[in-house]
Amino acid sequence: MKMKRAKCKGQNKFCLLRFALLLPPTLRERRRYLAFELISEREIDKRELLKEIRDSVYSLYGDTGASESKMWLIEYSKKEDADGNTDRCRSVGILRCAHNKVEEVRAALACIHSASGVRLGIRVISISGTIKGASRLRRQ
Amino acid sequence: MPTFKFFDLNVHAYPETEVPVEELVRVARRYGYAGIAITNYDEVVKGKEGEQLPPSIANFAFRGIEIRAKSVSELKRRIRLYYGKVPLIVVRGGSKELNEAALKNSMVDVLAPQHGEHGKEGLTHVLVRYAAENDVAIEFNLNAIIHGRRSDRARILGKMREILKFVRKYKAMSVITSNAHSIYDLRAPREMVALASLFGMRKEEAVHALSDIPEGILEKKWKKRREVEII
Repeated sequence: MKMKRAKCKGQNKFCLLRFALLLPPTLRERRRYLAFELISEREIDKRELLKEIRDSVYSLYGDTGASESKMWLIEYSKKEDADGNTDRCRSVGILRCAHNKVEEVRAALACIHSASGVRLGIRVISISGTIKGASRLRRQ
Repeated sequence: MPTFKFFDLNVHAYPETEVPVEELVRVARRYGYAGIAITNYDEVVKGKEGEQLPPSIANFAFRGIEIRAKSVSELKRRIRLYYGKVPLIVVRGGSKELNEAALKNSMVDVLAPQHGEHGKEGLTHVLVRYAAENDVAIEFNLNAIIHGRRSDRARILGKMREILKFVRKYKAMSVITSNAHSIYDLRAPREMVALASLFGMRKEEAVHALSDIPEGILEKKWKKRREVEII
């Protein structure tokens, strides 16, 4: 009985310490996850794409706008083309941004027309509040 | 949320560009459009303007023509030549005189003004008033925003903002188009709305300019009403 109590005490302490280090829910940032689809002439590297996205956001909204959008590329991978068309490359990815800057980020994504000389077009498939939700919608 | 039928009224396909109509239709369908209008340059499709599209895409793609004239007399001649043969006549604007001639002519469906020239006043409030009287829609070409950078884009956005002000004042019709020359230039309707917000267009206005107005233009809703009034 004594042993059990001691164990519980230890666990509580650990939990409390853990929660003290985490940000309280009221201070946490609200985010949106944008699942997007990209069609391009040839496969595009994650680094090339990230550079283009950043350039587009900086060009449209400047340094302050870019800092407010809190954008980050979470995931990006090539998708097998269901149409069987060989000359077109399709990729999908997830992009994170601030919850009130979705339309701005969408406009910045739509402004991207090429990366390293390769023509491309981006379309936002869905928006979700969690990565899980965005990846589920992306798979559909 | 109500579902809208979105249309893109300015898409260029083969023979003007390398991309076939079927390819554009497939991508546009995937993006959620209800229809696109193929508006090739009139010099390229001379004599073939009456050609029908394949039956598989005939209910999705519409045939149109884009007239690029250098003088007013040439423009008038070409409008008369194509009127009645193609469902959609788009005039590529230029100087003030050319825009005036296009906007005063009720046979024209859409005027695509150019925003690229330095210091030229292409579209004034008087001309937008003519557009409202003659039911000619004014095009906002988003391809210029997508491909422009830095000062070019800033100037284009400024011009579009100015034209939007006139359009609101005189209740003229406006359409948003992608002016796509390939499948990579096409953008989904929600992206077009987001791009339109860059020059101050509200969401409802942008949705209206992408769905109801293009649909009405293709059905000749306003032109029919005008013909009835004349009779």
